[in-house]
Amino acid sequence: MEKFYNDNIRLLLVDDEEGFRAAIARRLTKRGLKPLQASDGKECLEILEKGPMDVVVLDVKMPGMSGIDTLKCIKQAHEKIQVILLTGNIAISDGIEGIKAGAFDYLTKPVEIDHLVNKIKQAVEMIRLEEEKQEELEYRAKLEKKMIDTERLASLGTMSTGIAHEINNPLAIINESAGFMKQVISSPEMSKCSQKDALLMGIGKIEKSIKRARRITHQLLDHVKKPDLKFSEVNLKALLYETFGLLKKDIKDKQININWEIDKGKSILWSDPYQIRQVLMNLLSNAVHALQRNGSITLSTDEIEDDIILEIKDNGVGIPKENLGKIFDPFFSTKSFDEGTGLGLFVVHKIICGLNGEIEVVSKVGEGSSFIIKLPKRFEKKAVVQV
Amino acid sequence: MIKIPAKVLIVDDEKDFVEMFSLRLEGQGEKVSTAHSGKEALKVLEQAAIDVVILDIRMPGMDGIDTLKQIKKFYPIVEVIMLTGHGSTETAVEGMKLGAFDYLMKPAEFEDIKSKIENARKRKDEQEERIRQAEVKLLLRRSGDI
Repeated sequence: MEKFYNDNIRLLLVDDEEGFRAAIARRLTKRGLKPLQASDGKECLEILEKGPMDVVVLDVKMPGMSGIDTLKCIKQAHEKIQVILLTGNIAISDGIEGIKAGAFDYLTKPVEIDHLVNKIKQAVEMIRLEEEKQEELEYRAKLEKKMIDTERLASLGTMSTGIAHEINNPLAIINESAGFMKQVISSPEMSKCSQKDALLMGIGKIEKSIKRARRITHQLLDHVKKPDLKFSEVNLKALLYETFGLLKKDIKDKQININWEIDKGKSILWSDPYQIRQVLMNLLSNAVHALQRNGSITLSTDEIEDDIILEIKDNGVGIPKENLGKIFDPFFSTKSFDEGTGLGLFVVHKIICGLNGEIEVVSKVGEGSSFIIKLPKRFEKKAVVQV
Repeated sequence: MIKIPAKVLIVDDEKDFVEMFSLRLEGQGEKVSTAHSGKEALKVLEQAAIDVVILDIRMPGMDGIDTLKQIKKFYPIVEVIMLTGHGSTETAVEGMKLGAFDYLMKPAEFEDIKSKIENARKRKDEQEERIRQAEVKLLLRRSGDI
């Protein structure tokens, strides 16, 4: 309790008897509290609208809006404010009714000032506890959601790589069959066939579709956990340069500005450069795609304890709120099929998790997106079995 | 340029794949034998002269790597091209360390297949030629000794 300094408590005193109110306020001020004052319920609510408040000391018997009604209004609009009721000596039932309506407690008039100060402190302590509880709840909910997301993505990943494996075999058969038919149709003895061109066109479409399916299966299988990852020193800045080299044409075409805010000392880690390069490639090409002409990409790094943080930020189209939860899912894409498979971010998420890192996204439509990656400075194999 | 046909053995447990693949290779003028398991492949090698084996890595029973080891043990000059699903490139690399000529990813581009078979056959021819020349030299030296 000691750490609650009286002058930090935002207090409002509401009573219609001006003399009584002023006396209480004066005595509270002597004890280090600085109460605001209101003469009725209406004024009280007006004051509460203007700024934050911790505790309201409220007289029950007031002309106009009654104390209980005022209490109900306060609790409805300002859930966190604690209300201490002041009741007449004979009206204990008012106090009980007040507690039922959400008051912290009640005191009977005449008021013992130390008693009131104590009650106020208790009410403040209650606020603190509630806040802590709320924070704890929010933290837990966030953690749980994250765990569920990670698990769901892991199982989706396992399933989709399994499917990709199985699809490659029939795909190979289709490929050989189409190829063989093409060979037969192209032979000299078929030159008289009037439908030859149509047949060849049909086969051409089969072959094109095989390639499309193959692109998907290959992308899915590219990052199946390799038994022997090759680890070495990774220089994020150098890797980013390299990756931009591969995207040079798009960047030039759209005249994209790249802002380098990379701290040399905070961009070196021990990890798998190949996988990180893949992550950068996917994220940067997404950023480039999201940008209009003359857009910009900002790259920055930081170091927090044993982690390196990389932020890739663009001021492009942004991601609609309803899509934010789905962007890491396999096959989720807002692009047409020839522009993307919907696997880019899925692969990114998978790699980052595999490297014991975390990825977060902040985005707003029309303002742009920011991908924040956290990777351990030194990758250590986890004891947990990886899926 | 006249193409010299390669004697190819396709080994894969996917019968439909083997069938279509061999039709296609035959259409290209290669001489094709087929097998649906490692054991069967070794039997074919016993009976027919083969230049290039196209060998699937994932097969029930004796898998591609085991089969490769056997082939390299008994027919070291025969070239082997491993056929892999994507994601098992490591196995393909392991295969190459064990003596395989190269690997192909399923489904493969036919142009790729053609050039790899051609190169494998060439390497085998060259190796055989070197062996022949070495034998000739050996023979000459021996007769010179006498």
